[in-house]
Amino acid sequence: MQKFISCILVLVLVLFIPTLVLAQHKYSLSGTVKDKQNGELLIGVVIRLEENPRLGTLANEYGFYSLSLPEGNQTIVVSYIGYEVQKIKLNITNNLKLDIFLEPSSVAIDEVVISDKKSDENLSTPQMGTEVLNIKSIEKLPVLFGEKDILKTIQLLPGIKSSSEGNSGFSVRGGAVDQNLILLDEAPVYNASHLFGFFSTFNSDALKDATIIKGNAPAQYGGRLSSVLDIKMKDGNNQNFVTNGGIGLISSRLSVEGPIKKDKSSFIISGRRTYADLFLGLTEQFRENELFFYDLNIKANAQINKNNRIYLSGYFGRDILGLSDNFNTNWGNASGTLRWSSIMSKKLFSNTALTYSNYNYDINFKNEVINVTVRSKIQDWNLKKDFSWYISDNHFIRFGTNTIHHTISPTTINGNLSSSFARKSRTSLEKAIYINDDHKVTNKLTLSYGLRLSAFTILGGDTYNIYENGVLKDSVQLAKGDWGKTYFNLEPRFSSNYRINQVSSFKAAYSRNTQNLHLLSNSTSGNPTDQWIGSSYTVKPEISDQISLGYSRNFDDNNYEINTEVYYKNMQNQIDYRNGADISFNAGKDIEADLLFGRGRAYGLEFIAKKKSGKLTGWVSYTLSKTERKIDGINNNQWYNSRLDRTHDLSVVVTYLLSPKWTLSGLFVYNTGNAVTYPTGKYEINGQTIFHYDSRNADRMPAYHRLDLSATYEAKKGKKLQGSWTFGVYNAYGRQNAYFIEFQDNPDREGTTRTLQTSLFRWIPSITYNFKF
Amino acid sequence: MKKLIIVSAVSLLTLTACEKEIDLNLENKSGQLVIEGNISDKEEPHIVRVTRSVAFTQANQYPAVSNALVIISDNLGMIDTLKYTSDGNYNTEKLKAGVSGRTYTLKVLLDGKTYTAQSELPEKVPLTGLKLIPMTFLGNTNYDVLPEYTDPPTLGNNYAFIVRANSKKGIVFEIESDNLGNGVANQRDLDIPEDDGDSVKKGDIVYVEMRSIDKNIHTYYTAVNQLTSNGPGGGISPANPPTNISGGALGYFSAHTSQILSIVVE
Repeated sequence: MQKFISCILVLVLVLFIPTLVLAQHKYSLSGTVKDKQNGELLIGVVIRLEENPRLGTLANEYGFYSLSLPEGNQTIVVSYIGYEVQKIKLNITNNLKLDIFLEPSSVAIDEVVISDKKSDENLSTPQMGTEVLNIKSIEKLPVLFGEKDILKTIQLLPGIKSSSEGNSGFSVRGGAVDQNLILLDEAPVYNASHLFGFFSTFNSDALKDATIIKGNAPAQYGGRLSSVLDIKMKDGNNQNFVTNGGIGLISSRLSVEGPIKKDKSSFIISGRRTYADLFLGLTEQFRENELFFYDLNIKANAQINKNNRIYLSGYFGRDILGLSDNFNTNWGNASGTLRWSSIMSKKLFSNTALTYSNYNYDINFKNEVINVTVRSKIQDWNLKKDFSWYISDNHFIRFGTNTIHHTISPTTINGNLSSSFARKSRTSLEKAIYINDDHKVTNKLTLSYGLRLSAFTILGGDTYNIYENGVLKDSVQLAKGDWGKTYFNLEPRFSSNYRINQVSSFKAAYSRNTQNLHLLSNSTSGNPTDQWIGSSYTVKPEISDQISLGYSRNFDDNNYEINTEVYYKNMQNQIDYRNGADISFNAGKDIEADLLFGRGRAYGLEFIAKKKSGKLTGWVSYTLSKTERKIDGINNNQWYNSRLDRTHDLSVVVTYLLSPKWTLSGLFVYNTGNAVTYPTGKYEINGQTIFHYDSRNADRMPAYHRLDLSATYEAKKGKKLQGSWTFGVYNAYGRQNAYFIEFQDNPDREGTTRTLQTSLFRWIPSITYNFKF
Repeated sequence: MKKLIIVSAVSLLTLTACEKEIDLNLENKSGQLVIEGNISDKEEPHIVRVTRSVAFTQANQYPAVSNALVIISDNLGMIDTLKYTSDGNYNTEKLKAGVSGRTYTLKVLLDGKTYTAQSELPEKVPLTGLKLIPMTFLGNTNYDVLPEYTDPPTLGNNYAFIVRANSKKGIVFEIESDNLGNGVANQRDLDIPEDDGDSVKKGDIVYVEMRSIDKNIHTYYTAVNQLTSNGPGGGISPANPPTNISGGALGYFSAHTSQILSIVVE
C-alpha cells in the first residue's frame, strides 16, 4: 500500500517538473509574518509586489510565505486586516529571507471586520466556499447569554445552518451535523458542544482564527463530506505577559500568556468554567445537584533554531451533570497536538503533527437496586506530514500524508446489570496521501487542483457481520493484528478563478469527499450519547461530489464585496436506521443490522454582501437551498426533505462605531422552519391516542426569526488595565420561536387532542465584563 | 426518567422555556383501518378491536368497524371465528387461554381485502413481586416500581410493562428485553404515572402488568414509545410503527402472557 501511494506521488510530481524549468532568473523571498506586539504568527497575510500587484502570495496557516521575485529594485506591500499596511523596499540580487512584523492598527480594532483581508483577495483566490473568521472581529456581536462562540457566528454565513435554536451543531450545504471536520490545532474534535449543544467547546479567548470551507477544501483536508472548520489556537505572546479575562452571566474566563524566553518561546493557558451551579448550591433544593462545564486550553511553543519551531497544545473540556446520587454523568473531549514546523529551504516549508483526540462519556445510574455505568469512547492517534513547496510564482504545491488510528469503544453498560452482548472496541486505520497545486495559468486565470487518495482499513479484534437489507449474509472474524477490508477512494479536487476585470471574478469548482466515520444520532441537536461507528463490511464510506459556480464583485475600492455561489451536491451511502430500532445501550447484538442506506442531494444559491470598513460594517447573507434524502426503507423509498432543509435563510449583521467608547451591534436572522413530519390523523392503541403519519418531513415548523442587540463600552485605551462592558439582549422583540412541537391529548378538554409549541429563549439579557492587563 | 432529567437540566439552565397551544392547519386524513389484536394466556375472551382513524382536529372517537370477518387460528388446527360485540370489539368464542409456544394467526376480511398477522405466544416468566424504589429529585421524593422476576437463561425474552396508579387512565408503558441482563434477576425499575397531576403518595395503589411479548411486538412498541419522546431538539422523525399486520392496516396483533400484581404505597 505505502509503495503504491509513493508511486502515485512520484508520478504526480513528474507531471509538475516542466514547471520547474520555467522558474528561472528569479529569486525567492521567504520568511514568516508576525504581530509586532505579541509575536503571534499571522495567517493569511497578503504579500504583493507594488509594481505588479498580480504577483503576490498569502502567508500559510503557519505564518510562512515564499515569493519568487524578478531581479532588481522593487517594493513589497504587506497587508492584513487589523494591521497597518507595510511597504518594504528591496533590492533583489539573490535569495532573501525576510521576517515581517506588522503593527496592529489602532483604527481597525474598532471595526468588525468579518472575513478576508481588506483587499481584493476574494477576487484572486480560486478557493470557493471559504470564510476566514478572525476571533477578535466577532467579539462585539450579540450572542446568547453573552458567550461569544465561533460555532454560532459561522451560522450567520451563507450555506451554514444551526441544527436548532441556540445550538452549536451546524449543517453545511445540506449535510449532516457529523459531516463537518472540526479541527482544533489539527486534532479532530468529535463533540464540539457543551450542555446539549447550547455552547461550543471553543473558548474564544484561546483562539486565533477559524476557517470554514464548505465542501471544496483543497486536497490536504479530508475525512468528512460537508465542510472543514479549521480552528487555530493562539500561540501566546512572546513579548509581554498579558492576562485576559471575562466575567459573564453563565461563565467566567481567564487566560494568561507570555514569553518563556522573549522572542524565542511563549505559552498561553486559558480556562473557562460555568457557574450556574454555584448559585444553585445556595438553595436547599438544588444543593445536591451539579451542572457545569469547563474548558482548558494550553499551548506552548519554542524556537529550536532560526528555521525550526515546535508547538505543544492541549485541550480538555468536560460537562458534569449530577442529580443527587441517582444520576451522574460527565462527557467531554481531550486533545493534544505536538507540532514541528520547519523551513527546509527558501521554497520548502514542512509541518509535522502528531495529534491525539479522545471523546468519551460516562453515565452512572444508581438507586436501591440498580448501579450501572454506561460508557463509550472514540480515540484517535493521528500523524500528519505536510509540505508547502513554493516552486515558482506560478506554482504552489502542497503535498503530504496523513495516518489516523481510530479506536471506537461502543456503548457498553456495566455494573449489576450488563449487556448480554459483549461489544468489543473496534480499531481502524485511515490513511491518505495528497497533492495540490495552486497554478497561476495567466494573469487572469488561477487554478487549484489536487488529488487525495484515502484508504480506510478495518483492523482485527472483532467479528464483523455482513448484512444485506438487514439480513445476515456472512460474517468475517478478524483476529487481533489482522487487516480486514480496505476501502480506497480517489478524491479529485479542482477549483478555478477567472478574473474578469479589476473588480469582478468568476469561479468554478468540483470536489469529491469521502467519510469513514459516521455518527448515529436520534436527535438533531446532538446528544452526548450519540454513537460513532466506522465503515465496516456493511457500512460503506460516504461519498459526496459537489460542483459549484461563483461570481464575486467588489465596489468602492474593495470596501464593499459581493460573493454569490451556486452548488449541487450528490451524496452516496448515507445512513439512517430502521424505525423502532434501539441504538442506545439496550441495543441488540449488532446495530449494523438496523441500519438503512441511501442517497442524498443538496443544491442551492448563496449570497453574501459585506461592508468591510468604516463606522458601519457588517454583512447580509442569504441562502436559497434544498436538501433531500432517499433511503431504502424510509418514506416508501421516495425522496424526502432532510430535516434541516430550509428554503430561505437570511442573516443581517451590523456593527456601528458610535464613538471611540461605544460600539453598537445587531443581528437579525430569518429562516424557513425545519422540515418535520406532522400527524395526518390519529387512532387508538391500548386506550392511548397514537398519531398517524404519512410522508416524512413533508411539513414545516413555523418560520424562525429573531433580533439580537448589543452595546459595548470600552474605557480609554492606554491604561494598564483595559476593561470593556458588553450589554446584550437576545431575541429582543420576544418572538416565540418553536423549539419543538408536540401533539398530545388535551388535559383541559378530555377526548380531544391539541398541538403544543415549546419556545426557549425570549428577551435573554446578558452582561459581560472583559478585561486585559 | 431519562427524558425528565434532560428536560429538567435544560430548564434549570434557561428557566425560560414556555409553552403555548397553537393551530397548525394539519392535513386531515381519516378512515385508515386500525386493528388491535391481543391474545393472552389468561382464561378470558380475547379481543380484536377493529376501528378507523380520525382527523387530528376531531374528537377522540374512533368509528367502530362491525362488518369484518375476524378469524384466529393456531398452528395445531384450532380455528375460531370471533363474534362482534360492540365498539369495534370482536371476542373469541372457542379460544379460551392462549398457550405458550403456539403460533396464532389473525385474519381480518373486510370489503374484499384480507389483513393477516402472526404472533407466537412466548414462554411465561413469573412475576414474583413488586418493590417501591424511592427517588429523590430536586428535594421531592417520588417512587419508581421494580417488577421482580428472573429472566430465563436463553436469550430472546421481550417484555412489556404497563403501570397504573389507582386504576387511573394514565399509564406508563415500558418495553424491555434481555438485551440487557440476560438470565439474571431484574434490576430495572419503572416510572409510575402521575395520578391527577401528582406523584403517588401514601395509600395509593400501584398496578403493574407484565407481558412476555414476541420480537415483532417489541419492535412495534419500541417505535410507539419513540414517537412520544421529544428531548432537546425534538426527538426522532416520527413514522408509523412497523406493524406485524400485512395488508395495509395500522395496529398490531400480539400473543403474550399476562400477569398483574399491585402494591400499596406506604
